[in-house]
Amino acid sequence: MTATKHGLLAATAGLCVAALLGVAAARADSTGVTQSEIKIGAIGPLSGPIYMWGKLAMNGVEAVFAEVNAQGGIHGRKLVLVREDDDCKPERAIGAIKKLAYDHKVFAVVGGACSNATLAVRPELEAAKIPMVVNSAVADGITNPVAANIFTTQLTASVESRAQLQFAMERGAKNIAIVAQHDAWGMARYTPLLEAFKAKGITPVADEEIQAEPNDATAQILRIKGKGADSIILVTYPKAGAILVRDALKLGFKPLWVGQTAINDMDVFQKQVGLPGALDNFFTITATRYQPTDPEMAEWSKRIKALFPGDELSVFNLNGIGSAQVMVEALKNAGKDLTREAFLQAMGKIKNFKTDVYPGPITCNAPTSHQCNQSPAWIQIQDGKPTVIGVTTLN
Amino acid sequence: MRRLLSPRNLIFALFVTLAVVPFLANKYYVFIANLVLLYMILAVGLNLLIGYAGQLAFANAAMFGIGAYGAGLLQAHFGVPYWLALPSGALIAMVSGTVMALPALRLSGIYLALVTLAFAQFTLWVMSHWDTVTFGAGGFSPPRIDFGPLPLTQPNGMYLLSWLAAAGLIWFAWNAMGSRIGRAFVAMRDGEIAAQALGIDLLRYKALAFALSGFYAGTAGALYGGVLGFVGPEGFDLLQMVLHKAAVVMGGLGSIMGSIIGAVILVVLLEVIREFKATMEIAFGGLLLAFVLFQPRGIVDLLRRKLGWDERLHYKAGPDQTAPSEPTPAATRKPAE
Amino acid sequence: MEAGGAGRRRQQVSQMEMFSYLIAAGLTTGALYALVALGLVVVFKATQVVNFAHGEMFMFGGFFAYSFHAMLGVPYVLSLFMAVACAFAIGIVTDRIAFRPLMRSQTLVSVLLAMVGLSFIFKGIARSAWGSSGHHIAFPPLISPEPIMFLGLMVMSQELVVMGAAVVVMVAFALFFKLTRAGKFMQATANNPKAATLVGIRVDRVYMYTFGVGAAVAGAAAVLMAPITLLSPDIGFVLFVKGFAAAVLGGLTSIPGAIAGGIVLGLLEKMAAGYIHTGLEEVSAFVVIMFAMVFLPTGLFGLRGVRRV
Repeated sequence: MTATKHGLLAATAGLCVAALLGVAAARADSTGVTQSEIKIGAIGPLSGPIYMWGKLAMNGVEAVFAEVNAQGGIHGRKLVLVREDDDCKPERAIGAIKKLAYDHKVFAVVGGACSNATLAVRPELEAAKIPMVVNSAVADGITNPVAANIFTTQLTASVESRAQLQFAMERGAKNIAIVAQHDAWGMARYTPLLEAFKAKGITPVADEEIQAEPNDATAQILRIKGKGADSIILVTYPKAGAILVRDALKLGFKPLWVGQTAINDMDVFQKQVGLPGALDNFFTITATRYQPTDPEMAEWSKRIKALFPGDELSVFNLNGIGSAQVMVEALKNAGKDLTREAFLQAMGKIKNFKTDVYPGPITCNAPTSHQCNQSPAWIQIQDGKPTVIGVTTLN
Repeated sequence: MRRLLSPRNLIFALFVTLAVVPFLANKYYVFIANLVLLYMILAVGLNLLIGYAGQLAFANAAMFGIGAYGAGLLQAHFGVPYWLALPSGALIAMVSGTVMALPALRLSGIYLALVTLAFAQFTLWVMSHWDTVTFGAGGFSPPRIDFGPLPLTQPNGMYLLSWLAAAGLIWFAWNAMGSRIGRAFVAMRDGEIAAQALGIDLLRYKALAFALSGFYAGTAGALYGGVLGFVGPEGFDLLQMVLHKAAVVMGGLGSIMGSIIGAVILVVLLEVIREFKATMEIAFGGLLLAFVLFQPRGIVDLLRRKLGWDERLHYKAGPDQTAPSEPTPAATRKPAE
Repeated sequence: MEAGGAGRRRQQVSQMEMFSYLIAAGLTTGALYALVALGLVVVFKATQVVNFAHGEMFMFGGFFAYSFHAMLGVPYVLSLFMAVACAFAIGIVTDRIAFRPLMRSQTLVSVLLAMVGLSFIFKGIARSAWGSSGHHIAFPPLISPEPIMFLGLMVMSQELVVMGAAVVVMVAFALFFKLTRAGKFMQATANNPKAATLVGIRVDRVYMYTFGVGAAVAGAAAVLMAPITLLSPDIGFVLFVKGFAAAVLGGLTSIPGAIAGGIVLGLLEKMAAGYIHTGLEEVSAFVVIMFAMVFLPTGLFGLRGVRRV
């Protein structure tokens, strides 16, 4: 009897909540949209050691927006980008998001470079119901579990970690070692990497740590070599990566190297390593199909130079370009009566969308997954030139 | 008019203004005002240690972090309710702060600065490497704080708590520094041997100074975790330490009022310089430099002259022995501070 | 099976090999720390101030040399001297902006804040000047980058250059203090500024040159190290922290102490990383400082006797 009563109560309550939700959903939110413009916020570090993932990505977004505006905007509205520095710190990031949401009153946000800072703003984004497209930060927690208003066009840490391991195994690696930076960036990848190992039922033969700014990696290489590793999965920035590769060569150790998207410009990396032939067995994931010097990127290179005199097109710009193209596509699809709800729906429906930069098409499988980029492509130096050698399909 | 603008009245007016912020301003300004409250606690606590007691310690950001981690981890690992986790975090920081007093018995000046700096960096390393306890460098989100049955959202509830804590701790510092404790601190700062001759127990008062500032920083830290809803090691690095020092120096060493003003100025400036975008670090460095160069004794010194304040214990006027200008031979020189 | 495999595999690096390579790596790293510590000690000894912007002097030295050498095509040796001269000038600027106006009346903490403020400005300037690509910039190697055999160990020839140059810089430094007038003035001022004033030394000017010399050493170190460390606007901070630790270990006021401190720190880091865990590499410097300050307050070569009143 009481059970029925409770059930009835619960059902009524459920109905009420559903009704409320329905009302909320029906109330169209067009903050940041006027007849003539759409205000988009950007967060990420504009200064400090990680500025390239913020400032330079924003420059890429700006280049796309300028291009769209030059062609008359989206349904007659011009795109305006408002940048806020998150200083790569949770406190500053929360301040930046609150400023964008409640002071600038932007329509949506693009960016997010530092994993911890972006993770920290997730509750704020959800509370403000402000759409966000992440373009650089890789931590899975930002988009998993799914938040209704947060999408990412960046490869996430778990996708890359699984791809790294799968790639090493496909190349015949038996004894796989890990070298990881144990900072916030590194841990966002290191944890899912260990999970990927567990899922495959293997353990790394060595698990070493390196600092983000090392000057020497002899100890790491000696330990890994001593354990008889045949391949090394790198969770490091290019500098630490370059030093590891150099010291391995010095110690006569030639494993299979498996990098990830932080080591994303092989032309530059080759110079950083500075040893001819050191990268013969080095493979890394790229988030972009082309390198900045490729002829396919000439158009974007010209645009970046025109907007930001003195700058050369860099891979960091490409991250911004890709995310902005996806965003622009969704804004177009959302129709003339632009609301946040319409935009989010359009984002969720993006299917097989081809950008100028990402290796694979972008597909957002809302509501099950908002991680729209699932295509890790692999590059290697071949004949002195970075060459895309294939895309991993995760199994 | 001058009487009306006395420090006491100004603090009162400031806290009344801060009390109405959540009713008038948007959420962004409420957040900024909340940071102002936290940095007031931090600056006042640090000023007790370096401005009054003369102990040049560099571990304030670490204590801040210990408070945040202490409270957050108690919530996350053991489900301790926030009303208990908050004071526990503050107490853990207080104990760690007191431990710092041990090297302070042997060292002073730059040497104390060094060992506390090393301790701070070590603490940071522990926060980012003791994965099983601290969740490592990736940080963690403490559980949401429920203010029921009060009709408060987490931001407003945290704001109220921060307001109460800041008001209480400033009131305490104000009175303590006017009492025997404050006089003992200042005597210790101005000369340890003389202080001992006056019957001041150096061990006790040094430990007290470190404990107090640890407690202040820890309280601010435990609140900080709740305000941000996220705790990660990058919030407690050397830059954070520089911010605390900047608030104290910009406001005025050895002045409670100074630290209150310093905290307001610091947080407001940090928000204002957002407008510099990519050149923010230059703007920040420039402002820091400009303050030290052009208002070396802090804003409170300016106000003191303009408004005729007479705070009970202000920092020594004129050249002092902490100046690096006349380094005397190493063996005979009393170290800085 | 796994365990057996591991046992067999462990043969790949012999104990002897491990030990000698760790020593070699420790010495190279230590030489770098020592070079950074040297400049810090010179400035501290004379002015009782830790130059928190020292890492940025290093960074500037490296970038200047890169601009002259790699961008403008100036020959390497000439660009080394030009970079050192630029670093010297930056040292003087630091003195003028952040030290001289504060040295009469200010507290230690104000001077530190001024230095930190300046270091932020320096980083910002470097970022707008050399940071448009966002990558660490590779400095072209001086000599063939291939590893060579040296005393039975494979080493990068660049590492040998660094070690050799570090010794040259250190010796030049010692000679500078022993033989030149400027060096003697600096020593006299460091030992007793009042007496130095009495005998007619312009103490202000000496402080200025001290900052210049400190920065010049950092600049020289940067040019030598740049092919190994790569260049970025933020490279200075980590090196400053490590150099600082080395200087503390050596007693903060002793030049041989700074060198010994650097070497000891370098060796310690590599040994801890190689034999215990690589996670300890980063933190060993701070642990060492804590213990050194508490149990060995005068450092390895500390010249100051009693620091307590």
